[in-house]
Amino acid sequence: MPETLTLTVNGEDCTVTVPPRTQLAEVLRDHLDLTGTHLACEQGVCGACTVMMNGRPVRSCITYAHACDGAVIETIEGHRGDPVMDQLRDAFSRHHALQCGFCTPGMLATARDIVTRFDVADEATIRHELSGNLCRCTGYVGIVGAISEVIAAKGATSAPPAPARDTKPFAPFEPVETAAAPTPTAPQGSVSIEGGWTVVKRSFALSHAPDSVWQLFRDPARVAPCIPGATVESLDAESFTGAVEIRFGPIRARFGGRGSYDNDDAARAGTIRGEGDDKQGKSKVRGALRYAIAEGTTPQVSRAEVELRFEIDGMLAQFNRPELVTGFVDYILAQFAANCDAVLSGGEAGPARRLSVLGMLWSVLKARFSR
Amino acid sequence: MKPSPFEISRPVTLDAAQAALRGDDHGTKLISGGQSLGPMLNLRLARPAHLVDVTALPGLADIRETDSHVEIGAAVTHARIEDGEVPDPIAGMLRHVASGIAYRAVRNRGTIGGSLCHADPAADWVTAMTALGAVLVVRGGTGAREIPMAGFMLGAYRTAMAEDEVLTTIRIPRYSDQARWGYYKICRKVGEFADAIAAFVADPASRTCRVVFGSTGGAPFVSAELARQIATTGAVPPVETVKAVLRDSGLNLSDVKIHQLAIAHSRAVTEALSDA
Ligand SMILES: Cc1cc2nc3c(=O)[nH]c(=O)nc-3n(C[C@H](O)[C@H](O)[C@H](O)COP(=O)(O)OP(=O)(O)OC[C@H]3O[C@@H](n4cnc5c(N)ncnc54)[C@H](O)[C@@H]3O)c2cc1C
Ligand code: FES
Ligand code: FES
Repeated sequence: MPETLTLTVNGEDCTVTVPPRTQLAEVLRDHLDLTGTHLACEQGVCGACTVMMNGRPVRSCITYAHACDGAVIETIEGHRGDPVMDQLRDAFSRHHALQCGFCTPGMLATARDIVTRFDVADEATIRHELSGNLCRCTGYVGIVGAISEVIAAKGATSAPPAPARDTKPFAPFEPVETAAAPTPTAPQGSVSIEGGWTVVKRSFALSHAPDSVWQLFRDPARVAPCIPGATVESLDAESFTGAVEIRFGPIRARFGGRGSYDNDDAARAGTIRGEGDDKQGKSKVRGALRYAIAEGTTPQVSRAEVELRFEIDGMLAQFNRPELVTGFVDYILAQFAANCDAVLSGGEAGPARRLSVLGMLWSVLKARFSR
Repeated sequence: MKPSPFEISRPVTLDAAQAALRGDDHGTKLISGGQSLGPMLNLRLARPAHLVDVTALPGLADIRETDSHVEIGAAVTHARIEDGEVPDPIAGMLRHVASGIAYRAVRNRGTIGGSLCHADPAADWVTAMTALGAVLVVRGGTGAREIPMAGFMLGAYRTAMAEDEVLTTIRIPRYSDQARWGYYKICRKVGEFADAIAAFVADPASRTCRVVFGSTGGAPFVSAELARQIATTGAVPPVETVKAVLRDSGLNLSDVKIHQLAIAHSRAVTEALSDA
């Protein structure tokens, strides 16, 4: 349901009626024709969309309509009669602080904020404060120079003294024990990046004998329900279609696709290959899962060695954070192992199976955050 | 890209917020500053049908202090903490941590509560609040409960909160004026999520000492062993000792990660113990 917002933009009162998902940047660009505010990454990283909201710089790409009702916004088209912005504009042009100009509206919003918050700032401080605004053209030298000049014109001579520190020497003491946090038991293995592929190797224990574990692993119809989030739609002797639903924090994705599998009973090892796409989220994933079952510490238990390789394209791939993948894979593996043990003991996979998943046949999936 | 369509409400009572959360199965998400959820909405990695804005809930933007604690409302922004609006539970640490998060434009909207609930392994507050022994006050269908930071984060993006609970307050114990702290994060670029974080807090007055490692891929790792060693000797442990502790931690850390964490630890503890 569209909502009506009243806001003051560049000194003028405006009323716009927009759906709740509208970004502040779109309110400005598409509804108020203020196209000086630029959008690039839309993830808060590049700073191109930075505008002043109630006197503070904000990212207009990740500020939505509901937060803007009643707000006072200044964009690059505004700042009329603002002496600081006048000085900055003048200094930017003298220092050649812009070339293509794409980053400039955001740079000036951040620059104005730096000049306001700092009475004295050396180059390192300015560069630090400017680190959230990317420029592909200038190399920053002119931008830093322009900002330094405007700060220097404020006429302050020294920075406020750093807060005094306690100079008494540290006196060793016997700490009171706090209960130790439970030690995590992450499965052992490694994670590496090979070309566009992320390769996760893991080894985990199952509390049943290798033969019965292998009977489970070799039968996709039985093992699929142990994979959190996976459903098999069709299955024949070597291929399958199905889907896997991932839930990871706020992230939701449902990869539908197809794959093939083969098993080597003598070696108790097999491979599942699959690929699928998440239509709504516009991501694709391809992957292979190799698994081998061996005897564990006693003949009654087993050790599963798994190697998951996957490659992801599209939106999920933009989350380029391999350690998140690892945490996620380990979480899923722990659930998978618990589900396998439950099924082998004659029970059913637990409710956690909806949670996330690995993908197609586990594999797949998760990939996301690959590099 | 535009997010998938959503409806949004901005309830002014916790009961109304809870009713909205219970309304449907996982299609509803809370939003605070939107600085973590926003990128996921724009990429359509998160596609909730309903958002419930927590920023108008009673007390969520408040800062309170008692003799023994400082209490920060979940919707207090990083920038307010950076600017010193929150009284110090330990001299200067909150301001230091806040000022190192992302960029000023993100800190102007992002909130401490949003950061804790998002539970990104590389985020700053999860590690800093664990080192400070903070307690989180959350409100669920059956009333309020308290969750100590030490057991709050379960893994990447997973916390001990139930789907219908709202974080209302972060309660931090006050430390004496003899307390020391150190906080160091290793990042490839200023403002990016950290590759490694180490935090250290020691207070002879309460005989508290905590050593915490962040950005380990999951929940922060707390080492009672290193804490005891530093408290009783007043010396920075050798890097090799720290690496051995990390290797034996049960976390499956790569050699590079272990090195980064150990270096961050040395820098944090050296800074904390220096008398300069
Ligand atoms: C470019 C960029 C760089 C960043 N760098 C860093 C960094 O270096 N270090 C760092 O720590 N962070 C970093 N962040 C994240 C930033 O700190 C966010 O502000 C913070 O993680 C989330 O806070 P928020 O208020 O924006 O939460 P939101 O995005 O609104 O919410 C995050 C999650 O928490 C839930 N939630 C929010 N409030 C509550 C509540 N009261 N109760 C229960 N659940 C709730 C939401 O449902 C959502 O799942 C960065 C962000 C960006 C965009
Ligand atoms: S477009 Fe908003 S920060 Fe890049
Ligand atoms: S001037 Fe071209 S991006 Fe900065």
